[in-house]
Amino acid sequence: MHPTTHFRPTRNRREFIRDAFCGFGGLALASLVHEEQLRAGTANPLAPKPPHAAPKARSVIFLFMAGGPSHLETFDPKPLLNELSGQPRPAEFGEAKYQFIQRDAKLLGTQRKFQKYGQAGLDVSDLFPHTAKCVDRLAIIRSCHGDMVVHSAAQYELFSGRVTPGFPSMGSWILYGLGTESDSLPAYVVLPDPKGALEAGQPMYMHGFLPAVYQPTMFRPGERPVLNLSLPAGSDARQRQKTVKLIRDLNEATLAPDDTEFAARINAYDLAFKMQSEAPQILDLSGETQETLDLYGVGHETTHDYGRRCLLARKLVEQGVRFVCVVAGGGPGNMQWDAHSDIEENHLRKAAETDQPVAALLTDLARRGLLESTLVLWGGEFGRSPEAESGKGRDHHNLGFTMWLAGGGIRGGQAVGATDAIGLKAIEKPYHFRDIHTTILHQLGLDQHRLTYPHLGRDERLTFVEGRVIEEIV
Amino acid sequence: MIRRFAIALALVVPPSSVALAADEDDGLRLFRERIEPVLKTECFGCHSGAAKELKGGLRLDSRQAARRGGETGAAVVPGKPAQSLIVQALRHEGGYEMPPDKPKLADSVVADFVKWIELGAPDPRDQAAPLAETWPNQAREHWAFLPIKAPTIGRGSGSAGASPSRAIDTFIVEKLSQRGWELSPAASRTELIRRLAFDLIGLPPTPEEIADFAAATEPDAYERLVDRLMASPLFGQKQAQHWLDVVRYAETEGYEYDRHVPDAWRYRDYTIDAFNRDKPFDRFVREQIAGDELDPGDPECLTATVFHRLGPVRRNAGNPDIALSRNEVLTERTDIIGTAILGLTVGCARCHNHKLEPISQRDYYRLQAYLAATDEHNVSLAPPDEQAAWDAETRRIKDQMEAIKKVARTKTGEERVKMQEMIDALEETLPLPLATIPSTWNDFSARTPIHVLRRGIWESKLDAVGPRPPSVLVSAELPELAADVSNPRTQLADWLTDSKNPLVARVIVNRLWQQHFGTGIVKTANDFGLRGERPSHPELLDHLAASLVENDWSLKTIHRRIVSSSTYRQSSSFRTPHSALRTSSDPDNRLLWRFNRRRLSAEELRDAMLAASGRLNLQAGGPSVMTPVDPELVNLLYKPSQWQVPQAAAQQDRRSVFLIAKRNLRLPFMEAFDGPALLTSCARRESSTHAPQALELLNGAISNELAGAFAERVAGTLRVPSAANGTRSVPTTLIIQRAFLLALGRHPTPRELAASVDFLKDGPLEEFCLALFNLNDFAHVP
Repeated sequence: MHPTTHFRPTRNRREFIRDAFCGFGGLALASLVHEEQLRAGTANPLAPKPPHAAPKARSVIFLFMAGGPSHLETFDPKPLLNELSGQPRPAEFGEAKYQFIQRDAKLLGTQRKFQKYGQAGLDVSDLFPHTAKCVDRLAIIRSCHGDMVVHSAAQYELFSGRVTPGFPSMGSWILYGLGTESDSLPAYVVLPDPKGALEAGQPMYMHGFLPAVYQPTMFRPGERPVLNLSLPAGSDARQRQKTVKLIRDLNEATLAPDDTEFAARINAYDLAFKMQSEAPQILDLSGETQETLDLYGVGHETTHDYGRRCLLARKLVEQGVRFVCVVAGGGPGNMQWDAHSDIEENHLRKAAETDQPVAALLTDLARRGLLESTLVLWGGEFGRSPEAESGKGRDHHNLGFTMWLAGGGIRGGQAVGATDAIGLKAIEKPYHFRDIHTTILHQLGLDQHRLTYPHLGRDERLTFVEGRVIEEIV
Repeated sequence: MIRRFAIALALVVPPSSVALAADEDDGLRLFRERIEPVLKTECFGCHSGAAKELKGGLRLDSRQAARRGGETGAAVVPGKPAQSLIVQALRHEGGYEMPPDKPKLADSVVADFVKWIELGAPDPRDQAAPLAETWPNQAREHWAFLPIKAPTIGRGSGSAGASPSRAIDTFIVEKLSQRGWELSPAASRTELIRRLAFDLIGLPPTPEEIADFAAATEPDAYERLVDRLMASPLFGQKQAQHWLDVVRYAETEGYEYDRHVPDAWRYRDYTIDAFNRDKPFDRFVREQIAGDELDPGDPECLTATVFHRLGPVRRNAGNPDIALSRNEVLTERTDIIGTAILGLTVGCARCHNHKLEPISQRDYYRLQAYLAATDEHNVSLAPPDEQAAWDAETRRIKDQMEAIKKVARTKTGEERVKMQEMIDALEETLPLPLATIPSTWNDFSARTPIHVLRRGIWESKLDAVGPRPPSVLVSAELPELAADVSNPRTQLADWLTDSKNPLVARVIVNRLWQQHFGTGIVKTANDFGLRGERPSHPELLDHLAASLVENDWSLKTIHRRIVSSSTYRQSSSFRTPHSALRTSSDPDNRLLWRFNRRRLSAEELRDAMLAASGRLNLQAGGPSVMTPVDPELVNLLYKPSQWQVPQAAAQQDRRSVFLIAKRNLRLPFMEAFDGPALLTSCARRESSTHAPQALELLNGAISNELAGAFAERVAGTLRVPSAANGTRSVPTTLIIQRAFLLALGRHPTPRELAASVDFLKDGPLEEFCLALFNLNDFAHVP
């Protein structure tokens, strides 16, 4: 097996075939299939591509808890923190830099109660009664850490492995590596929180220096989530069909036989028309049973929005969509998990909105046989400080926090790594965002060293320096 | 599938941050004395960059590579000799026997490796070494670092004294003839005027211009057309866009707040004006690098220095991290000079000596040292009394905000949310910024001492350095400037624009060539280093670069020569007799045996629809325009109030170069058609083809609205007044021909005409016009 590089999408048939052979040397059969498609003029940069190794997962759903949920209130109980509540941090735990709180801040115990769940007997707090029931599916990483303690930079690092904007997000990288299996839906979808924006803004989800074809599609709230997928108001569908036919007739009238570039463009119109006619049915939730809607909490005020978007995420991966990000939190900090002033008020509310939908998604994926091939990632751009901010809130905290993974070949029912006794620093098996990225790529059959793209003289990759596969969970 | 590699990878443990210094010292000595010599003599033959054939994907000649390992896993796992494949291999365990076909190395050697790995395997090989003051001749002899040599032209072809454009053809034809090939036949006049118009002014020609040119009988009709287009103020509007891409121009700072840099558009207008007036390119560079030093009283020079303000800037509330933020800003400002002006990716050397380029870490920070004192400086253009009133009002509101903030910090929950809302509301009442140039100056009192930084981390300071150009480009004896030199950026600009600088002229003429042919003579327009691609026609590149310097750095001269050449005037047709054969032999058309058809850029595509529909508003310059976008997109901004759509509808019809470039809200239309990401330098636009583009043109608001306007225009111009009842209808074929001319710049073919007539029997004209916007020929320059 030789190390290979992915190539930029190519402009003509010859380039495409060359890349197909160099890129996936040995997989001659796949190349022949490609060639057949090419003969038909369908050079599509989003066509499915074979991974580097046998994959465990085909799709990823990222349940993005924006703003930074507390590990101390959720999955990482710290009895000592409660004992020391109100005191300054003992010196032996070391230093930490925070965005807002000062060195003299006092530790803050938690009011949440923890209990052991599942066969594995894993601790989950009473914020997440539904998720707790799925705990045997979760691999809980209690030793996550990142490099930045402010939202924007931490969000960039969570998505792209870099603390500055302009680098491709994991969704774009994965799409670049694997293509898509759905030709009637966008391949990389972000379902933002309708309550508003996040600090890092749109660039966090973007394709960076990868070609525009790998950009995310931002779904809008409401009945018509995809821009331009439906006809403009006032136009007649039957007439529009004739217009599309005219476009094809006129394009073919002047098409030279060797002109694969124009042939591909004609083909993109066929694909667009297919998306336009098929996608609305797929995106329509009215075909779901009442039992399913109830499972996700659709129709109940607190859970309706996130439940609806989690259900949509399931429908998308069911159709072969590669990467779906379901954002929980948006707008002002307190509408995210960003609990600066009152951790109780904020987390009780955010947990109530998301716990049932998250558990429903796991349950629903599992009963449809989709969880095996769908990797689910849960977490935020950081956790929260053991110290109090403004009395009963917590500041941002990047030195130790919790994320979890499930499905897609991940071995659930275990907690990996540990923070110290007050939850300040990841001390046992610390895992960086780039390790999470590496593990996701690994489950998809992608090798971090081979998923590269040339940019400004370097072969760039998602994991920047180098990540580790979290071996305990794969 | 065997997954051994995965197991080994997971065992690589990062060096503990509390590694004992003593261990590290011992380990480093051991490495230098006993490990490295063995690696060199026994391993590098197959496992280094010098290996004839790399075995097992493993390299041992850098720390990172040794730890990553090869196909079977990590060779070196710090602290864990048993898991380090190199130890297994030396011991002939686990299926490996190294060195191959040789007896085992002495037990004492193996013991050294074990000891070294137990000590944490300290490996100095990627740390900032005080290296590379002088480069091997091989690096200095890289083609792009050698002086520009104006080649002799016209060998053997008897064309001495030929026109400058003929000179270009000479280089191209010479390479073609080596294969027995020749240029393709010339394109038709209809094609040429469309090509020239889009390339020079970024807009389609009008039907009248097409007719005039087709009928022109003067022998120099083509040259006259070129002159006319290059004299048009629209020329700069088209040419500026590429430079704006290269310097990653945007009007906001990105990150959380995405603050609008006050009047950043002045830089866009400065650039347009520079191209229109054919400002000598050396002057253009000097002003951008050092305008405030050169003439601090000249608004034009100050506007040029907005160049240093164009990168993303991270600002955040709370505890300030001044040194880190400063480091980020300096990094942005240094890297863009390398990329945009020198065509060198110096940024890699920020963290370590560039492995593949002769740019050392020390070189990188010396380049940064020119910018040590550079700081933001907003220069107000308002009269003093107006400015004073503005200052007072701003201070009053900010004081109020601060007072509420203080109280808010002591509150929680509902109360705090309410107070934050009050603060936000107050912020909205801040007076609009006055006319400003967001320029730069030197603030020597706050000069950042520049050090080589270990791994680029601002806290890990190594040697202090002063300003100096990269070593590989200057004499080894050249000393650094004093760190506190009074005009550092002028000194940098002097070196950049010295006629002996081998890179600056080559890089810009290559960008111009790329503008006209789609691909540069050097394909990697931002990377002329060792990793960049080599020029397809090195002599031509040097000829153009030398011509630029000779002609007082006039870019228009170079543009004119390029577009006047026969190479540029070739047909792009796929229907030439040798097309298939030559495509298979030179698929990228690097030899230029035909012209490269290109897809319109996002901006050109939108402008072309505006032009065809008669709606284009040619008002030039001034503040950028925000266009209506989906409210959900605005809602995704941290401050939705940043998006203000002007009342006057005609403002929506301005050329695309005058639309806002906002980092956190790129226009969906631009996104779909490969517009720049606005975050890093864009050397060349991608030209991708995908279904969402088709959806944008079929269903999007822009194309549908303009198709309606286009239909009205076509019908209106053909409405013939009749005495009896207002108007009388005109034949469908006339309508079709008029629409084809306006949109595609040509008449329909008989087959196209037949299909169009058939469609219009019962199809609405708006739909026909929309179809034209969607055609391959509409979106491409022939």
